[in-house]
Amino acid sequence: MKALHLLRTQETTSARAIGVVLLTAFTLVVTFFLPAVADSQLAGGAAITIVILGLSWLIGWSGQISLGNSGFMAVGAYTAGIWAHHHNTTPLVVTFIFAMLIGALSGLVIAIPSTRLRGPYLAGMTLAFSAAISPLAQNFTSVTGGEGGLFFNELTTPKWFLNFFSGPNATINANAQWTADLSVVVAGVMFLVMANLFHSRTGRAMRLVRDNDVAAELMGINLPLTRTLAFVIAAAFAGLGGALYTIINATVTPSTFPLTLSITLLTLMVLGGIGTLSGAVIGGIIYSFSGNLVDHINALTGVNPASNLGANMQGIIFGALLILTMMFAPRGIAGLWGPIKRLKKPSKRLATAEVVQ
Amino acid sequence: MVSASALALGMASTGVLISNAGAAPSTPGVTATSITIGASVPISGLAAAYGSVSASANAVFKYIDSKGGVNGRKIIYIRKDDCYDLAAYGLGCTAGASTTTLSVNQELVAQDHVFATVGSLGTAAEESVMNYLRSNGVPQLFVASGSVAWDQPNKYPDLFGFEPSYVVEGKIMARYIKTNYAGQSVGFIGQNDDVGSTGLLGLTDGGIKIPSADNLSYNAADAVTGTTSDITADVSQLQTDKVQVVVLFSVPPFTAGILETAHALGYSPKWIITSIGSDPTSVNTVLEDGATSLDEFPATNSNANPWVPWLRKVLEADPTDFPGFGANTVISGNEMYGAGYAVAFAETLKAEGRNVTRAGFVKTLESTTLSTPAIAPLRYTGGNHQGLNALAVAGVLPNGTSAPLYAVPTKTIFSSTNANNAPLKVVTKPIVQQIPSWLK
Amino acid sequence: MANFLASPFMHNVLAGLAQGVLYSLLALSLVIIWQSTHVLNFAQGAMAMFATYIGMTEIDRGVGYWWCVIISVLVGMLFGGLAERVLIRPLYGKPEINPIVVMVGFLGVIEALAAAIWTSTTRNITPPFSQIYFHAGGQVILLSPFVIFQIVLAIVIMLSIAALFRFTKLGLQLRASALAPEVARLLGVRVSRMLTIGWMLSAGVGAVAAVIIASGTFGLFPTNMDGIFVAGFIAAAVGGLESPIGAITGGLLIGLSEQFILSYWSATLAPLGGIIILVVALMIRPQGIFTKNVERRV
Repeated sequence: MKALHLLRTQETTSARAIGVVLLTAFTLVVTFFLPAVADSQLAGGAAITIVILGLSWLIGWSGQISLGNSGFMAVGAYTAGIWAHHHNTTPLVVTFIFAMLIGALSGLVIAIPSTRLRGPYLAGMTLAFSAAISPLAQNFTSVTGGEGGLFFNELTTPKWFLNFFSGPNATINANAQWTADLSVVVAGVMFLVMANLFHSRTGRAMRLVRDNDVAAELMGINLPLTRTLAFVIAAAFAGLGGALYTIINATVTPSTFPLTLSITLLTLMVLGGIGTLSGAVIGGIIYSFSGNLVDHINALTGVNPASNLGANMQGIIFGALLILTMMFAPRGIAGLWGPIKRLKKPSKRLATAEVVQ
Repeated sequence: MVSASALALGMASTGVLISNAGAAPSTPGVTATSITIGASVPISGLAAAYGSVSASANAVFKYIDSKGGVNGRKIIYIRKDDCYDLAAYGLGCTAGASTTTLSVNQELVAQDHVFATVGSLGTAAEESVMNYLRSNGVPQLFVASGSVAWDQPNKYPDLFGFEPSYVVEGKIMARYIKTNYAGQSVGFIGQNDDVGSTGLLGLTDGGIKIPSADNLSYNAADAVTGTTSDITADVSQLQTDKVQVVVLFSVPPFTAGILETAHALGYSPKWIITSIGSDPTSVNTVLEDGATSLDEFPATNSNANPWVPWLRKVLEADPTDFPGFGANTVISGNEMYGAGYAVAFAETLKAEGRNVTRAGFVKTLESTTLSTPAIAPLRYTGGNHQGLNALAVAGVLPNGTSAPLYAVPTKTIFSSTNANNAPLKVVTKPIVQQIPSWLK
Repeated sequence: MANFLASPFMHNVLAGLAQGVLYSLLALSLVIIWQSTHVLNFAQGAMAMFATYIGMTEIDRGVGYWWCVIISVLVGMLFGGLAERVLIRPLYGKPEINPIVVMVGFLGVIEALAAAIWTSTTRNITPPFSQIYFHAGGQVILLSPFVIFQIVLAIVIMLSIAALFRFTKLGLQLRASALAPEVARLLGVRVSRMLTIGWMLSAGVGAVAAVIIASGTFGLFPTNMDGIFVAGFIAAAVGGLESPIGAITGGLLIGLSEQFILSYWSATLAPLGGIIILVVALMIRPQGIFTKNVERRV
């Protein structure tokens, strides 16, 4: 396909832009052929893709392991939720930008103690951040709605869009379609942003800091600033993804973004392919349709979905997939095919006594 | 290269084609011979104890269908498991980790094309889908929760509750405390969501003052991490403060946990428990002196109310949902509840007549007095979508043996409304409603 | 004296210590693995949970409680060894994110598998110790025979591990393999075997924590170790992943702080206790409070 070829060659920013626009248009066409339920699932997956793009940037390209992205999602989601709860006439774009900004701010806050940390300590700090979200949300009830969370007006499908649908299920189909299309467009925009970031000077500086920070410092790159920027960008993406996710579902509660979601994001990113753009999209698609995939597997193997085995198939399959991927195909699905630009992987070694001061 | 507008037109007409392809009838869920309704309910997981509510409703619908249905239509009830919206946490849930109340309702609406959701259960769970159902025009009927969120006819015209709100329960408890435990210290443990806060509102409105040190809550999500430290801390705090009367607004697993913790600490205050948290067949625990609770349904160990033997007949006729249900099986409060809203739905359908639409159904619901197993009639109006508003004070007997406990209503029944300072009306005895002949 | 023990302050201290020793056990198990193989074992809690299922459900078949505990710990150790051989060994020399991700995947599989085999409904295991709290002079002391068992067992295990590392030949070999594997190899230590043993010991310690959790009011269910794992991880990071003493201290600190926050502030904010301590600790010393400074190789 011409679009993919444009992306692969990536000669200029405008070539990249055209490639993304074509891909987005293609996806929009697909949404028209999907049933309403699948459209709703796809919308969620698009939001997740945005988050994974940021996570790939942070873990893959700046080499900082983070388990905090569910926390950043929650920040963006609650920002959007609190805003929508009180001012539901604000244009969506404004809400999203606001969520991105607050998300970026929270990334900055986390970055301050975190950029000095390495490896497990960094993981621990970011894990602690994710784990703190739920208690904070539950406690400050007047702002966050406490345990029950916040509910606000869903996206209202515009009249001109509704006119394309008729029949008794028109409203349902139109609503689901609109949600999916909106999400795909937002995801497309963020995809383009990240694609440009990957190829920018910042991106190159990021990779150098990851691979050889002494050399980077010698070249005059400001280490803490670069690492902090990585967190800020990742948090902005996650905040937007969280806001989109919550606007789609019209609700946010302390249990919407549990710590396990950080782990799920990690899983999806690895399965898709760490540090790749297409990997993020693949991760989002897996997220959308994992339930369906598992249903099919249950049907094929004759397992009753309501039995204990059937209900836990998803966990077993994805856990096993993650292990196998990491051991035998660490570049993920995106790494399985063709001439996509390979990343130079960092080469930290295990089972040695290297300790960072 | 296709022009953008041509592409858009092409996509639009495809959209039209697809939505017409199903050739669905004009009101979703309604055909000449059937009407399909759905519910998102906790069949497995933390709140599985409430599964029997909708199972009982299902049995009632099956019974009605066996007699030909309503106005020539069979009622098809699709119950989907949403694990109380906690599927991601396991806890015995067999619905799959990515199930949420929203995803379940999306399936009911967009795949099963239900006419309405009937008897969906869970305060936070159902609040999370209120907007989704409204924007898709699907009525949300008889939500099984005592929150006042279901009583917003201006913002949510197709949303209806069923049971008396926790505010009314709190007010009745306040009256009971003032009458029977005057001068004693009162403490409170509530679930940290609408359940607890609304109950507290009722208590305060009824004039009970609870010192802030004894006004406690527990976190329902603690079931996820298995932390019981806040329950231990709560009960131990009340014990230290020597609180004599404790009001609980908790769901059965946590009611049990609180009672057991008190037992371990050697603490026995007078317990007053919300109707949703004290169903004796669910709260299987040590209770030395018994407890007081509230119930909007009659005692099931007596046939004084004709609905009781009627329900027994209905449940015995449904071995799929109630295997082994026999003449001596105890009918639980949950089962009466489910029968209550099932009957309410069927009667409204009957009253609407053969021409069924969503708008017409809602209008009929707001203008018909419904006869149910409850101790007072059920009536909605254009301005009141809460539902039942009367409860009897009931006693829960101590569990000296392994036999199940009964709720025994005393002769004290009260009714009220959600409004602040709305008075409590005393009803001297249950108003037994007759079973419509077509239901018998 | 009874008044002091029954005071709200002591209630909090006892409850905090009881919870804290469990965090310490888990933190210790993480430190043992880290010291030997520089891997963060995300599946530590889950592995222990699985072992506990295998061991403790034997109670249903009439096996005595103590035998069940022993079985759980032995099965746990077996798992630890197998995990190191099968999952971690192939990843030596690869980027450090790889084993983390693998263990995360392992975590998911184990929890789902446990739910598939034994259902995720909570099971209560009754230990041979009463859970009724003591009374003295008409007041309640937040100690029960079970809580005492919990604290004593945890201390015994920690002391045993300390003794093992310090006073036995095996302990010396383990430490040598961790600090200077090439030198140890030259001296005849079977380094790769030591790595496996390290994982086995760690898993055994984790299993003890899981047995206590399963026998307490939490009960046994597939995700019951998740909260403990997070707190244990934070405790290990606070104390410094190189220091067993640090891990134990971290665990106790976090247990106490959570309890005091719960009591004096709000139950919903209790989990923040550990988080606050971690942030403060890592800002002061990014390599952990008890870690000795080591030169950085360029």
